[in-house]
Amino acid sequence: MNPKEYKYTQEHEWICPESGNKGKTGLTDYAQSQLGDIVFLDLPAPGTQVEQFRKIGEVESVKAVSDIFAPVSGKVSEVNQTAIDKPQLVNEDPYGAGWLVRLELSKSSELDALMDSDKYDKFVAELSEEESE
Amino acid sequence: MKLSKKTPLNKLHRDLKARMIDFAGWELPVWFTSILAEHRAVRSGAGMFDVSDMGRVWVSGRKAGSFLDKVLTKPAQQLEVGSAQLCLLCLEDGGILDDLWVYCVGADRYLIVWNAANIEQKLDWLSRWSGSDPDIIIEDTSPDTVMLAVQGPSVCQLKNLKGVSHLPRFGHTQTKIGGLSVFVSRTGYTGEDGFEIISDAANASSLWESFMEQGVQPCGLGARDSLRLEAGMMLCGQDMDTSTNPFEAGVGWLVDLEKGEFIGKSALLEIKRQGIKRKLIGFQMKGREIARSGYKIFKSSQEVGKVTSGGYAPTLGVSIGLGYVPIELATIGTDIEIMIRNKPMAAQVVNKRFYKRGA
Repeated sequence: MNPKEYKYTQEHEWICPESGNKGKTGLTDYAQSQLGDIVFLDLPAPGTQVEQFRKIGEVESVKAVSDIFAPVSGKVSEVNQTAIDKPQLVNEDPYGAGWLVRLELSKSSELDALMDSDKYDKFVAELSEEESE
Repeated sequence: MKLSKKTPLNKLHRDLKARMIDFAGWELPVWFTSILAEHRAVRSGAGMFDVSDMGRVWVSGRKAGSFLDKVLTKPAQQLEVGSAQLCLLCLEDGGILDDLWVYCVGADRYLIVWNAANIEQKLDWLSRWSGSDPDIIIEDTSPDTVMLAVQGPSVCQLKNLKGVSHLPRFGHTQTKIGGLSVFVSRTGYTGEDGFEIISDAANASSLWESFMEQGVQPCGLGARDSLRLEAGMMLCGQDMDTSTNPFEAGVGWLVDLEKGEFIGKSALLEIKRQGIKRKLIGFQMKGREIARSGYKIFKSSQEVGKVTSGGYAPTLGVSIGLGYVPIELATIGTDIEIMIRNKPMAAQVVNKRFYKRGA
């Protein structure tokens, strides 16, 4: 369910590396299921410089507000306006239509600090176990 | 470490894979499927809530009525059997300890249904004023019973509730649902038609499942909160408490100053005479940011109050809230700002009844 070619953070963001040293980012399926119905996204404007693991925006669900962190450092090259207009896309399709921002990576080696899908699957499975205890 | 209390439906909620959270010391579902879906089910069809966290306290005995008249802000003895009223439990200084429903169930027999918060404090308060009078018997039956709220425009078409569809608003009766003995009232906290049902804890699963079989959507605390807020209903402990008085909280209509002596009456008369300085208002955000409880309210760069409840209003598609502001800013149409993460966001004072059934 978590796409194989993506990389993941412990804060439940994903990045899909693209050609030209770019990457699309978003929130994971686990993140959206924990947040519940998402009703508002506060995302950085194109051109904003972001730093790995630093806060770049906020996501509001009916129940709570959460921070969004940058999976890698770089410059915001594009923001998903469709998701801003229709935040439930993050719930419905977190790895597709519900992507958040596209980054121009400044240090592609930072990707190595992220989890691959196998590791992230395990990470989430453990969290879910703790929850059901 | 204090563990959360579990309602008789706890296992069923877990089997349904509900997301559980702690609320006022109770482990309860915050949602089963999605807050928005559950909210819409109640506005358009029928949804049900496990409200077993609400306290269910019987007051009986020869002096039960006069005792309730002494501690409550509305006359209890005038209630007819089968009727009920919402009223307040106030402290001597007029502060609000709780809002509660009192049902007249028989001669000298009343049922109180109050909020989950501060149950011990409230029971102590009652026993303090009843003393050891043998003619006033106070019995908290909450741990042995279950309480469901079944709410929505189509509740009267449910097989389970057809038999009580004759009940007037706030009316109640002892009856049977699917062979199980229940106490049913036509009350609720969602702004829709609906019923609240109390039964022995042993009947909890059978009742819940029979409603599910009839297509009623299980709903959690999330929708419970968004529905009540949208309908402009206050949550005691959040929108009003012992530090607020009924007039500034906009529940002066729950206080009958014409009736005989009751606890808080002289303080409330004085508060009314002096006039209120602040007021609980409803507001609507101009943007889509969500104002949450505790956020500060500003006017012309000055902090003027705090948000007590806030959230997304699914039926209206806007962000709304309640909060206290000085009386001169309480007029509908007044522009205010809500400080959201250090940014002042525009809002406007609007009628607290954000959503009105059939409007």
